[in-house]
Amino acid sequence: MTRTALATLLLASSTIAAPAIAQEPTPSANAAKSERLPRVIKERLSIPEGEWTGPRLADGQPDVSGFWSNMIANHNNFTDPQAGAPGEPTEAANLPRDQRAPSRVSDPEDGQVPYLPEARVLQQDFAENFANPTKSRYIEPMARCAPAGVPKSLYWHGYEIRQYPGYVVFLFDTGTRIIRLGDAKHIHPDIKLWNGDSIGHWEGNTLVVDVTNNNGKALFGRTGDFMSENATVAERYVFAQDGASFNYVATFTDPTVYSRPWTATVPTRRYTAEDEPDGWHYDVTPVNNPGQPRDYEMPERICVENNGPFGGGAIGVVVHEPLIQR
Amino acid sequence: MSGNLLKASRHLAVALAAFVLSAQAHAQDIPRLPSGKPDFSGVWQTLSEADYDLEPHVGRRDAPPGQGVVAEGKIPYLPEALELRQDNYENRMQDDPRLKCWSLGVPRSVYHPTPFQVFQRDSDLTLIHRLGHQTRTIHTNGSLHPEDGEELWMGDSRGKWEGDTLVVDVDDFNAETWLDRAGNFHSEDLHVVERWSFVDKDTIAYSATLEDPQVFSASWTINVLLHRRRDPGFVLIEDYCQTLEYDQFYPHKGDK
Repeated sequence: MTRTALATLLLASSTIAAPAIAQEPTPSANAAKSERLPRVIKERLSIPEGEWTGPRLADGQPDVSGFWSNMIANHNNFTDPQAGAPGEPTEAANLPRDQRAPSRVSDPEDGQVPYLPEARVLQQDFAENFANPTKSRYIEPMARCAPAGVPKSLYWHGYEIRQYPGYVVFLFDTGTRIIRLGDAKHIHPDIKLWNGDSIGHWEGNTLVVDVTNNNGKALFGRTGDFMSENATVAERYVFAQDGASFNYVATFTDPTVYSRPWTATVPTRRYTAEDEPDGWHYDVTPVNNPGQPRDYEMPERICVENNGPFGGGAIGVVVHEPLIQR
Repeated sequence: MSGNLLKASRHLAVALAAFVLSAQAHAQDIPRLPSGKPDFSGVWQTLSEADYDLEPHVGRRDAPPGQGVVAEGKIPYLPEALELRQDNYENRMQDDPRLKCWSLGVPRSVYHPTPFQVFQRDSDLTLIHRLGHQTRTIHTNGSLHPEDGEELWMGDSRGKWEGDTLVVDVDDFNAETWLDRAGNFHSEDLHVVERWSFVDKDTIAYSATLEDPQVFSASWTINVLLHRRRDPGFVLIEDYCQTLEYDQFYPHKGDK
């Protein structure tokens, strides 16, 4: 994540801006798709659930493999995504609220996470201390090379989906998720994980994933929004028929943190060889494939090995002493 | 190292190679992709002592005994490199990069005694290792190493098929990773050629030939077997051990 660290610093105090890129009118099979979507939008995408009429893999799964990235903003601010991190407002933060993207919280309608009072205190305490952390707990864990977890991985850099019989695999910028498809059983509930345990199946154009075994440690971003180790997440990845976009729709249930289940929605766009790499949404390198059409591949992802924390007041990554004895 | 042990390990390596060759000839029942290529999908793990020390060694406080997995018996170090290896050995309890949960590199990530899962398509193999956050893509789409390759922790892997053997050229390494817990090492000039082939449907013969003119006087080869994890219900559980130093502070916990 060498490039990531730099990009993070650059983006730490601003909304992700669409890089000034030339749209290249390269004709290809994909040109028949709908007009190319913008990289950043300020409104939600409407993608209905239904049958899948697009291409399928040999095992019957809808073929959604490839590169994807969210269309709103990074993890600076969960409920006002384009306003910047706590204490680090963007220019857009001065505009009327309806000129920025809506909250990622799509239910309830007020766009707020329905925290229990004591949980709201914890979230606000983190947000108030984020810019000048005086305790370890105020450091956003991904700044220390923790995996981004659920749901933050879905709006932290672009990522790649690879599909196999029985599996959907997400290669995120920070961490990896293996989603088992079918009738698998979840692992023992005592095992709590940064990315949880994911079992899924396809319903038409929708990948439905049940995420249990969450450790709640990853946080949802720099505003300190969170779930606990008692949470379950019901994810629905609703793919548009043209394969160009999907909505990540995730319902969080955790009676120890929330007064009721609530839902987050993250509009997401596909990136292909027709898009210019931009070091964030589409952080890829060219394939050295002489004589073949232009294509890109995911570079090595490194973080803790770089000996350094990044972003948002990050301190205290121990890398000089052994961390394990095995 | 005693001469007898060294000799025994050479015999073992020769015997293993002979066994692998004879077994391959009968490997009709191996899993295959629809394209007909061998399908290495699954969870794999070595039973060998390779990661403790690639060379023949007796048991010690931090390692069980092992006959070694180097076909040539010992690693052909250049004299100065051998001194560095000895320094590494003496400081191994502090300096082994694995203790910091860093990516182990290639080939060490393959014979570290923890499982990894292979996901395979015609265009590539994806290796997801349990320890830390390491992943590796072996491209099998005919692509070449990048023209101006950066130095990488896991190297850049480009594979091709020779019959039922996957031959992977791995290049563009940095000099940060070790080859085992005994301090065996390499420089950024390391170049590895891996060979992956089925012995039977649940066993892979894995070999890695290493060359590095800064460190070794000749190329040399590691041979290990990889076994399919067949424990009922086995799942590759994440092990992001780089988080152990601070994970107690989340979510919103601790007063430090």
